[in-house]
Amino acid sequence: MHVFLTYSYDWSVIPRSLVFFERGLGVTVRITVISVVFSLVLGLVVALVRMMPGPIGLIGFLYVQVFRALSLYVYILFVYFGIAAAFQIDFDPITAGVISLTLLNSAYMAEIYRSAIQAIDPGQREAARSLGLGSISTFSNVTFPQAWRIALPSLVNQFTDIIKDSAIVAVIGTPDLMYQTIERVSFYQRPFEFYTTVAGIYLVMVIIVAQLAARLEKRLGRHLA
Amino acid sequence: MIFLVTYNFDWSVVTDRWRLFVEGAWVDLWVASIGFALACALGLLNALLRTSGLPVFAVPSFLYVQVMRGVPLYVLVLWVYFGVANITGITFTSFQAIIIALALTGSGYTTEIFRAGLGAIDRGQTEAARSIGLSRVRTYGHVILPQAFRIVVPPLGNTFVGLLKGATIMAVIAVPDMVFLANELNVTLFTPFEVFAAVALLLVVMVLFFSAVVYLLERRLRIA
Repeated sequence: MHVFLTYSYDWSVIPRSLVFFERGLGVTVRITVISVVFSLVLGLVVALVRMMPGPIGLIGFLYVQVFRALSLYVYILFVYFGIAAAFQIDFDPITAGVISLTLLNSAYMAEIYRSAIQAIDPGQREAARSLGLGSISTFSNVTFPQAWRIALPSLVNQFTDIIKDSAIVAVIGTPDLMYQTIERVSFYQRPFEFYTTVAGIYLVMVIIVAQLAARLEKRLGRHLA
Repeated sequence: MIFLVTYNFDWSVVTDRWRLFVEGAWVDLWVASIGFALACALGLLNALLRTSGLPVFAVPSFLYVQVMRGVPLYVLVLWVYFGVANITGITFTSFQAIIIALALTGSGYTTEIFRAGLGAIDRGQTEAARSIGLSRVRTYGHVILPQAFRIVVPPLGNTFVGLLKGATIMAVIAVPDMVFLANELNVTLFTPFEVFAAVALLLVVMVLFFSAVVYLLERRLRIA
């Protein structure tokens, strides 16, 4: 074992690989944004199912428990190799990545929605109902707009987790930022320079989104204080 | 790609090797546990630095948390295993690399948990302890930490569950855990559905078990 072998850094490999970073970043952003949109919708559906009484609610409960218990890595292997082979569905890596990210995060988002909806004073719903609003219109005009304000900052925070998790789609060959980086590492044999750079890129993305969440929280909470 | 033959489910691939799967799951569990223990130690130390009130310590500690929480675990694992090894010449075993990566990521979360836990203890407690003659160290050891402990245990438990899920990524650097085993079986026997379903089931069982433990602890420790 050679401890502290003198290592000469060569950061010039980074600017030479800009085009690959760009390409990968495009895929990462696309996968992340699509997954966020899908899981925002699916999460709301799951939350509503989860809040139903009886066996339907139990299904929602199980969905949340199971999908929150899985890691994206295990899930993506199961979808891309297991389900694809057993049911002969030919997923391309991007689709498999989006499906896995969406299903996993919809479970987390469902819980965020649920706690936000439950935070709304039941008096609001009762008042709307006694004014003659139907149960659907009570939800969409009274409960949901208020719950949305509470849920939004946490939902945006969940976005940061999706960005970070999305790196794992590289294991099935999705040409995202991480995949491109691994490819460049094997080309230039410069793991330290590349992984440090890519860590920085993910960090910047996460910090931007987290800042957005913090700002939203301040803005939406203005009236509540 | 067109599959000409229909997929034949063969669960004996899993049931004949259940012992190997359990051993693989055990690897995930103990690696996650060591990573978590280190993350707690690092996190407590870092939280004390953060709350020290000295900018020399507090600022780097703040940046540390931001970085560790903002970098994907996958990137961190490869950075430790290939990157750091390359520049220092220290060759980590793949076990060491995943444990270090888990400890680093985890400490980003545990720092915030300890900080919140220590911050939640009323100042009056410190003042009272000091005024009855307890030293600074004793105040911490006998008054502040025992109270903060109740507050930090449930979120620490959740961090452990998160690290256990994250630990499954160790297969990418060839640590022989359950996912690595499933990958090997998949390429040799081509039974992806069965092996990955088995791994998913094992992970769900482990995670739900520990989540239940955390939930029970949370109820017990709740201050009446």
